[in-house]
Amino acid sequence: MSLSDQAALQRARKLARRRFADPTRGLLVAFEGPDGSGKTTQRKLFKTWLKSEGYDVVTTKWNSSALIKPIIKSRKAVRALSPEEFSLLHGADFRHRVEQVILPALWDGKLVIADRFLFTGLARDVARGLDLDWVLRLYQPLLWPDLVFYFAVSPVTSGKRVTATRMPSFYEAGQDVTDVDDPVESYQRFIARVIREYESLALIFNFITVDAEQSIAEQHRQIRDLFLDGKRRPWSRWNLDAVAEWLSLNGARR
Amino acid sequence: MTKTAATRAKLVAVDGVEAPALLAAAKAALAASTPREPAARGGISRWDASGIFQDLEVAEEEAGAASARTLLLLYAADLAFRLRWQIRPALAEGRTVVAAPYVDTAIAFGRAAGLPLNWLANLFRFAPRAGARVVVPAGAAPATAAKDGFVGFASGHLNGGNDPRARQRLITQTAAILARTPPAPRRRRSPRARS
Repeated sequence: MSLSDQAALQRARKLARRRFADPTRGLLVAFEGPDGSGKTTQRKLFKTWLKSEGYDVVTTKWNSSALIKPIIKSRKAVRALSPEEFSLLHGADFRHRVEQVILPALWDGKLVIADRFLFTGLARDVARGLDLDWVLRLYQPLLWPDLVFYFAVSPVTSGKRVTATRMPSFYEAGQDVTDVDDPVESYQRFIARVIREYESLALIFNFITVDAEQSIAEQHRQIRDLFLDGKRRPWSRWNLDAVAEWLSLNGARR
Repeated sequence: MTKTAATRAKLVAVDGVEAPALLAAAKAALAASTPREPAARGGISRWDASGIFQDLEVAEEEAGAASARTLLLLYAADLAFRLRWQIRPALAEGRTVVAAPYVDTAIAFGRAAGLPLNWLANLFRFAPRAGARVVVPAGAAPATAAKDGFVGFASGHLNGGNDPRARQRLITQTAAILARTPPAPRRRRSPRARS
């Protein structure tokens, strides 16, 4: 790295530090959980409530980068992805959204709701047999949410809810790693592994667990209360690297 | 795979920033590795065999530019594809295969773009180390010759194609870092978890 690049990074770190301390900085709230845990329903209710409270809300969904999503979609369609390729492409999609959607919104003081965050990548990739340390480091520099709501359901409930209305897709069912022809049976096996990984992550990273077997109204009330209690937590210092790198990409002009 | 085939199988990494020189060196390395056994030549594995970067090229401008990290995650995904469909099958048949470019070009590009070495080393942990390595030195005008290769593509993409001087600087820095990269192959551990 040249001296001018290093100087730009130092400037960016200084700017980022100042923004951390500013109460007008944005908030990042992540909704995590297995398919069928009802997190999308809760995310929509939460967003509506936040807007009624006057928040400027931005939503970002897993695998939704305008640049990377088409690349993933076409390869999923022909079932052409190995676990490593699956992991790396979703990591690229996440990184692109962090730089293009999430950090600009947070910098501008908005509240970002992430419908799935990097923990989805961790849980699914580790369930596919990849090493947690390797996958976690793909997502560096880490951007840590202010709050992570984890919607906990059993594998049986997840399976029932997902298969009640549709057939799970090839990768959703983990058929690339289970070698089971029946998507429903494969899903049951795979989601049990994913949930096991989520539960480990919930402990390691201190998620706020929401019992997703409760009624929709009860969950929503709980989320509101937890948000009001937790939203003023200080930002993790780990976020400094992510913000500084993003600022230096933008020439620290902000 | 027979024992003989396993012994004969060889992965040669050819790294560099200039696409035409890289291809010429790859052909020479392939011919030199099996001078008396053309049948044992597995071929050359080239950048973007998966078509990821071709897809990226036709993306709408509004989709937003990719950063160096994003481009390297994509390069790694492409390399995983090349390993699965080109490199490992050739090695399993006891053939020599030349990867041009392989890991070092991407790591040098990442370093030139200011990314930390430990992140880059972890990213490519899934790639087996090559049995032999060739670095193609850059000529007098690397930015021009890099046009069709990964480094040329990525450098142009980073600047949105709007800053030829920044692109040129990045290519020159990548070539310089690559020339300084020690020949000793890094020790790599597969990201597949042990069961």
